[in-house]
This record gives sequence, structure tokens and C-alpha cells, in this order.
Amino acid sequence: MYAWIWRHLPGPVAVKAVTALVLVAVVVALLLFVIFPAVEPMLPFDDPTLE
Amino acid sequence: MVSVDTSPQAPPPRGRSGRWRPLLRGLGEALITLGLVVLLFVFYEVQVTSWFSARQQADATERLRGQWREVSPDEQAPPPVPGRGFARLHIPSLGPDFPFTVLEGTDQDTLAAGPGHYGGTALPGQRGNFALAGHRSGRMAPFGDLDRLGSCDAVVVETATDWYVYRVLPLRGEAADWDPETAPERCAGVAPIGGPYRDVFGRTIVEPERREVIDPVPGVPRGTVPEQWRSRLITLTTCHPRFSAEKRMIVHGVLTKRYPKVAERPDLRPPELGG
Repeated sequence: MYAWIWRHLPGPVAVKAVTALVLVAVVVALLLFVIFPAVEPMLPFDDPTLE
Repeated sequence: MVSVDTSPQAPPPRGRSGRWRPLLRGLGEALITLGLVVLLFVFYEVQVTSWFSARQQADATERLRGQWREVSPDEQAPPPVPGRGFARLHIPSLGPDFPFTVLEGTDQDTLAAGPGHYGGTALPGQRGNFALAGHRSGRMAPFGDLDRLGSCDAVVVETATDWYVYRVLPLRGEAADWDPETAPERCAGVAPIGGPYRDVFGRTIVEPERREVIDPVPGVPRGTVPEQWRSRLITLTTCHPRFSAEKRMIVHGVLTKRYPKVAERPDLRPPELGG
């Protein structure tokens, strides 16, 4: 999977590396700020109130 | 002369096993990715939520300070508004994370900004039970170290008009042979209350559905004890064990002192806070 992505990134190695880092950053940001906040209320974590 | 004898490289295995190789590699990469996502989620839960909460807590504090500047300590404080701050909670024995601004309500959004007050329970200083909930982990974890509170530790609530000094009640193991005569000086006003309060201890672990711990007299049906016989309690609830929603940790304290604020001297602080 990662080898396939690497092969399909355009440009010389330096450009590929920068593009790859940007892609990783985009995925991490998407997880931290969109996906995790959305799924978190469904998980049985840290509910301090009484039912 | 040294000659390095290299054996000819074995050709890569071909045939039946070669076809599975890309598939296995893809599976391995997917599992590693999943592991990293789970690790990232832990980081989110513990750290990133605290960054969001710190900003909300700062906003609530800012707004409360503005409100307090307009209210003279001699007047009646306005009633709490859901989702807004109305008091400050100081627990000196839990270190520099305190004080926190306490907000009205215990829904998820309110608790993300700081400790929340169970609606309908007593207000600070009133007879009955001033009950608060706070996160144990993540979202700044205001009640993260509640397990470190011992009997007689001060829990100070600051309102627009007063400072209320509550102290943690004797723990289960201490209550039976508690002697107010020999107790340390800081325990003045703290003793097992007895009567309908005989099962109320400083710190307990309960099932999440034990909502009666925030009743005016914890564990006693409402209306049994007339208002003028009730003590003035504070109750802090958080989840237990840390990171889990399985049980709840409950800390009960009793009001020992009240210092009215003085309009001309806003810098005065109670001695319990080193004032």
C-alpha cells in the first residue's frame, strides 16, 4: 500500500518526501479534529456523571 | 590476496507463495496503520481534549470574572445559568492545576469546559448537597487526582459573595474510632456526622447508577430528613478507574467555615488558601 503510494507520488525523491509528510499531516489532522471527536461519544470512556 | 567468495544469490521464490506476498504485505501494513491510529487516539483522548478544554475553561473564567466585577459582594449573586461559570473551586492539596471555574450543568459540553454542578442540587453553602462532576482523565482532568484526597483536606468554593471551606469527611476505615479531641487542628469541624449520615464517608467507589449519593442527604430518600436538620455537604463525582466508565469515585465533604467577601478588599483570601 505505502510502496504503491510512494511510486505514484510525482517528482524527485525530495519532493516525494515533502508530499508524503504533508499527506501524513493531513490524515493526522483529519483524525484528531474530525473523526475522533465524532466517534468518541460512542465509546465507554471517562463518564464522570451518575446515571 | 584475499578473495571474497560470494555464493550466487538465490533467485526470489516464485510460484504459489509469490502470489500471496503482496496480499500479506498489504495486511501487515494495514495492521501497523491501525495500531498507529489507536496510539494517536490515546494521545487525542489524554492531551488534545485538554487543549480544547483549556480554552473553554479560560473563556468561562474570563466571563465569570467580568460578571463578578459587576456584582458587589454585598448583593445577592444571580442564579447560575446553564453552561456558564458561577463559582471557583480550589483544592490546595491537589496542587497547581486548581482553581477551576465551576459551570452549571453536567452535560458533555459543559463538562468539557470544567467541573459541572448537578442541576437541582444545593448551591454553595446551602443546606443539602452541593454536587459536582468532573473528568478524571482528558479534558484537563480537573478531578484526575481525587483519589489523593484524604480526610480533612480542604475543598474551597469561591462565589461572587463568599468563600466556603468544605473539608473531606472521615474515610470508611477512620470513621469508627474518630476522636475529635485528638484529631489534627485542621480537622476542626470534621467528624462522622452520624444519624441519617452514618453511611456517608469521605471517599467511596460506587456503581454509576447510584444517583442517591447526590441527594440532599446521601443515600436517604428525599423528604425523610427535614431541611433544617440537614448538613451542608459538598459531593465530587468522577469516573473510576481512570479512563473507564465502569464505576464512579465519590468524595463527600462538610462545610466547616464561611468567609464573606469584603467589597473594599477583593485581595483577601481565606487562610486555607494561604491568604
